[in-house]
Amino acid sequence: MINQFRHKEETIETKTNLGASGVEVTVGENKYLVTEVSTGKYNVLLDGVKKSVYCIVKNEKSYLDIDGLLLELAIPSEDGTSASAAGGHAGEKDKIFAPMPGKIVKLLVKEGEKVAEKQPMVIVEAMKMENQVNSPSAGTVKKINFKDGDQVGTEIPIIELDI
Amino acid sequence: MAHKSFKKILVANRGEIAVRIINACRLLDIPTLAVFSSADKNSVHVLAADSAAEIGPPAPRESYLNIEKIIETALAHNCDAIHPGYGFLAENPLFPEACEKAGIVFIGPSAEAMRLLGNKIQSRIKMATAGVPIIPGMKTAGANLEMFEKAAYEAGYPILIKAAAGGGGKGMRVVHRKEDLQSSVEGAMREAKNAFGDDTVYLEKYIENPRHIEFQVLGDSHGNTIHLFERECSIQRRHQKIIEETPSTALTPALRAQMGAAAVRVATAAGYRNAGTVEFLLDKNGGFYFLEMNTRLQVEHPITEMTTSVDIVVEQIRIAAGEKISDYVLKATQRGHAIECRIYAEDAENNFLPSSGDILFYEEPAGPGIRVDSGIKSGSVVGVDYDPILAKLIVYAPSRELAISKMINALKDYKILGIKTARRFMIDVLNHSEFKAGRTYTDFIDKNMSDRNVDMVPAVELAAAVTSAAILRKPQATPSIQREKALSPWQTIGPWEIGMRITK
Repeated sequence: MINQFRHKEETIETKTNLGASGVEVTVGENKYLVTEVSTGKYNVLLDGVKKSVYCIVKNEKSYLDIDGLLLELAIPSEDGTSASAAGGHAGEKDKIFAPMPGKIVKLLVKEGEKVAEKQPMVIVEAMKMENQVNSPSAGTVKKINFKDGDQVGTEIPIIELDI
Repeated sequence: MAHKSFKKILVANRGEIAVRIINACRLLDIPTLAVFSSADKNSVHVLAADSAAEIGPPAPRESYLNIEKIIETALAHNCDAIHPGYGFLAENPLFPEACEKAGIVFIGPSAEAMRLLGNKIQSRIKMATAGVPIIPGMKTAGANLEMFEKAAYEAGYPILIKAAAGGGGKGMRVVHRKEDLQSSVEGAMREAKNAFGDDTVYLEKYIENPRHIEFQVLGDSHGNTIHLFERECSIQRRHQKIIEETPSTALTPALRAQMGAAAVRVATAAGYRNAGTVEFLLDKNGGFYFLEMNTRLQVEHPITEMTTSVDIVVEQIRIAAGEKISDYVLKATQRGHAIECRIYAEDAENNFLPSSGDILFYEEPAGPGIRVDSGIKSGSVVGVDYDPILAKLIVYAPSRELAISKMINALKDYKILGIKTARRFMIDVLNHSEFKAGRTYTDFIDKNMSDRNVDMVPAVELAAAVTSAAILRKPQATPSIQREKALSPWQTIGPWEIGMRITK
């Protein structure tokens, strides 16, 4: 069985076989033997070295912990469309999203304004901390969908750019 | 310990600190009442308490910050004392005043001491008069930009803008150039307004590259004011502590005695009762400056508990009940080494932005000298309404070297999936040669961790391999999280014991 996962911008392909002593997974040139020890806990053998990895799959996303290092992989659904979640809105260079749900403290630009790459665009407050969101690219502010004091999620862009 | 100082204590907080306080009450055999917002119905602190009461909607203003509602709830449930924890109402003098008016004991300092020490400007002046060294800067609040510009010029850049009502790094900005002064003052004022309801900010000289050393103090109403040694809290990101340890590698016995005496002088000058923390900056030449006194139980109090064997929360309750500080506490000494790592919902790979979501998997490390103060469990929902602190991991060992390696292993064994935590980042800090050498200054993270590069390739491959197995074995591997609509009987029933005697 062939699977494809996404980690940020990168796509990883794996080949899976159900072996006698566990699941054999080939990634690139490496061959891993994976066994589930208990719910969420996996032992992995690679070249005779054992590693413990924790993994939970939910909503087309895989959450993993490798010695305290956290990873999230997006799992494409059956119909081939890739879940966007793990990549966030990283690819969308003409939109500014809230990094997480919160409140707009201050918009720093106006519609029609020319902006430079990395220019501070908006301050969003979440969990009592202010977070400055910078422009992903140079361009002109096409549309602002919120005003100061509005609650925002991460789905609708706060600001749209012409780039 | 059969101890019946209070009939019932209301814990006016949530998360790990509420659980911590409930555990101290259990040691003293005092029943507890947890309060919760509608967002926290199934929270760990609600389950840990003997009983629980809902106090309002998720917004803190309408629940955990609602003094009137909390007092009303305490009276309705026959609570004769309230513990505020840290954050929320812990440093709001209106709260102890409202308690007193309602005939309820506030477990903490007086409103008067809180008001004096809560105002960073007033307390600076008071302590300077008491002979405690302070940092040069404004003697009054900044009323307009000209005042800030003048004070900044006099102190010399870089300067630090701070909230008068501040704490926890909120409403704080370092300014290196005159051009950035105005936007920084505005930002600090907004953050201060949101965090403390008071937008007063002031300016002082920014001491570059200091250590942040604080002393735990305790004062009772029998004339005893003591300190329980230092905590070194120099490892900070976004001006907020993440790793604390005690003892500090920077203090000689002579300097420790000198700073401890200054801490006691601060508490005495303020007429301070109950537990508090005196914060100092220590510069490279061994000069120290009074920063502020936190009039509450401190997040990092457990490391002091590990090295002195003192239960600080139990002492807080005893002191509030009018008792003397326990004899063993008066005689406490430091032994061994303790480290705390704060577990926040935050993304270390993305500028420590808060992270929200569901806890899909949760497993705590265990073993001798390992303590976890936690407010989460598997299935917990980490929302955006509250401070992102989830838990604290504390280790104790005979030496600093052993404590570091115990902490690294405990961080590896602490499994939290579904939201981001900075466990790997903290492992890298603890493994850093500068940390191991004890060269911990407040710029440690900027200086030593900004070029941190994790080789993700092997990890991503490994992750893909495990995910392949996970989806193969469990095509429906979607653990559903049950969110109960109503309270379970376990949350509403009062305290009871198997074989309890019937008294009525």
